[in-house]
Amino acid sequence: MTETLVSVADVTKDYDTGKVTVKALRGLSLDVAEGDFMAIVGPSGSGKTTLLNLIGALDTATTGTVDVFGTRLSGLSRRERADLRLHSLGFVFQAYNLIPVLTARENVEFVLELQGAGEERRERALSVLTDLGLGDFADRRPNEMSGGQQQRVAVARAVASRPRLVLADEPTANLDSENSEALLAMMRGLRDLHGMTFVFCTHDPLVVSYARRVVRLHDGVVQSDERKEAGQ
Amino acid sequence: MKMSLTVRLAGRNLARNVRRTILSVIGVGVGCAIAIFIWSFSRGAEDMRIRGVAESGIGHMAVVPEIWVDTRDPDLRLAGWRDELETTRGMPGVVAAAPSASTTALLAFGTLVVGVEMLGVDPSVEPAVNRIARAIGEGRYLEPGDGSLTVVGRGVVDQLDVELGDQLYVTLVGASGGIEYVMLEICGIIDTGSKSLDASICHVTLDQLAVMTGRDGPTKIAIMVDDIQTIDQRAAELGARVGEGNTVITWASLVPAMGADKAADDVFNNTLVATIILVVMLGVTSARLTAVLERKREFAVLLALGMKPLQILRLIMLEAFVVGVAGSGVGLVIVTPLVYLLATKGLSFADAFGGDASIAGVLFDPVIYGDMGPWMVPVAFAVGVTATLAAAIYPTASALRTDPTSALTMREG
Repeated sequence: MTETLVSVADVTKDYDTGKVTVKALRGLSLDVAEGDFMAIVGPSGSGKTTLLNLIGALDTATTGTVDVFGTRLSGLSRRERADLRLHSLGFVFQAYNLIPVLTARENVEFVLELQGAGEERRERALSVLTDLGLGDFADRRPNEMSGGQQQRVAVARAVASRPRLVLADEPTANLDSENSEALLAMMRGLRDLHGMTFVFCTHDPLVVSYARRVVRLHDGVVQSDERKEAGQ
Repeated sequence: MKMSLTVRLAGRNLARNVRRTILSVIGVGVGCAIAIFIWSFSRGAEDMRIRGVAESGIGHMAVVPEIWVDTRDPDLRLAGWRDELETTRGMPGVVAAAPSASTTALLAFGTLVVGVEMLGVDPSVEPAVNRIARAIGEGRYLEPGDGSLTVVGRGVVDQLDVELGDQLYVTLVGASGGIEYVMLEICGIIDTGSKSLDASICHVTLDQLAVMTGRDGPTKIAIMVDDIQTIDQRAAELGARVGEGNTVITWASLVPAMGADKAADDVFNNTLVATIILVVMLGVTSARLTAVLERKREFAVLLALGMKPLQILRLIMLEAFVVGVAGSGVGLVIVTPLVYLLATKGLSFADAFGGDASIAGVLFDPVIYGDMGPWMVPVAFAVGVTATLAAAIYPTASALRTDPTSALTMREG
């Protein structure tokens, strides 16, 4: 039986813009199981990014509970949430968001250094990059790489410490279909190899086609939750 | 050992916009340079002031009767002065100790009369504490045992129309209150360059003064120390050892007008330096804030990845520290030749003095020499680094306010 990594229960999230209160999530409930390769889809404003922020301990719910790895996030301090993100979660952003003055290897290594890894972090960073086909690009800076290569470095940064859960926000939005497919294949390979769990926010049908589970949001609630059989 | 990535990141962040970093470094450097130059000048001026006062026969400090501090009565004499003199000369750091006393007197030659402040001195040590005694223009200065000899200022000579070897008729008030008369021969003429001073100088031996006034001993023992930075410390040490009824006061109390001048100058100079540093800080704050605002996205990502606010603070402060250290170095490079010139050539205020380099009876060297020394290095780094770190506080606070959720909502392009 697979373990539930994330449990979102009856969550609401309101944003007070000063004049009006925007209800981004309206009593949403969702579980993420270990090994899920899940796409969260929905139109703009449906609450995808807000949900990712909550699961990623970047934000707190207005009401309801979010448990990650059995820990209730509302009970954690800012520092504890930062620790959770650093040691147990991986993030992949749409805009790659690599540090431009660091090389590919240093970008990966930097997160490992923040985690307190010792001298072995250099070899480990290179090893992860090599596994993702970026060994030859290790000493290049982001501006010396293509968008696809940068996003693969971003994935390497996210998975270098083997987090149990990787959250990806529109990871293919800036990639062409060839690079998107390669990236998704790579992430699915990581899931199959290391048992990592991936949660994507996406509009991209290609991501949906790769996903094993597709959760559709509409107006801040889950509209459908579809699980695919292997091979679908 | 390899440099940590945080340190490397800080360095490369500074290299992102080299022009901005260089301008920040130059800004800090110029601020440091101005501060050091002002302090060098200020320390030089203080040195000149203290030297001027001390070498006017007043000393860096003096042993005086306690009552004298309030009354300034020249008829007072120092109790147990020989013991005090021995004690003083035995103190560490004391270069010279010269006893002296004074009285007002009338000098007459023929039908001409001039009033002077007659100073009784120990000729063997007076030149060590009194540049007036070293400013002999004609003849010689007094020597121990010169009973009926005197040296007078050029102004006195001119007013009385006398020359070396002439006998002056001296009138003064004795201890009993009666008028005393004595004849003194001029053995030396003093040229200080100050007309006002030269018009009232008259030195005799302390023994001769005692004979004339009927009061034995000096009013004060003027003391020179080897390091002007230790004056207060030496004064306290000696103060604990002088006899009852006597006390030790420093030059600033001996010539209160000069002490007040020094305090006022210190306030002005430090205010000037603080203003300059504040302006530099505002410039650096602006540059650092721009650098931080340009990297808001990165801070959001770093926070999202789990970097602690303290680590971000360390990163930005490290960048500021590097700018501060480099700026301090640049400041030293800029200011060292200037201070060297100030220290060796000096800045002459002779014209400002109008040919009379005396104020309140104190003879000054009208050239201020800057103070150049190892103190400049720690001061430059303390000023540069502290100002830059302080200037980085607001930009750092701005970075720490970054919302990590913005890392997910940021979109390319």
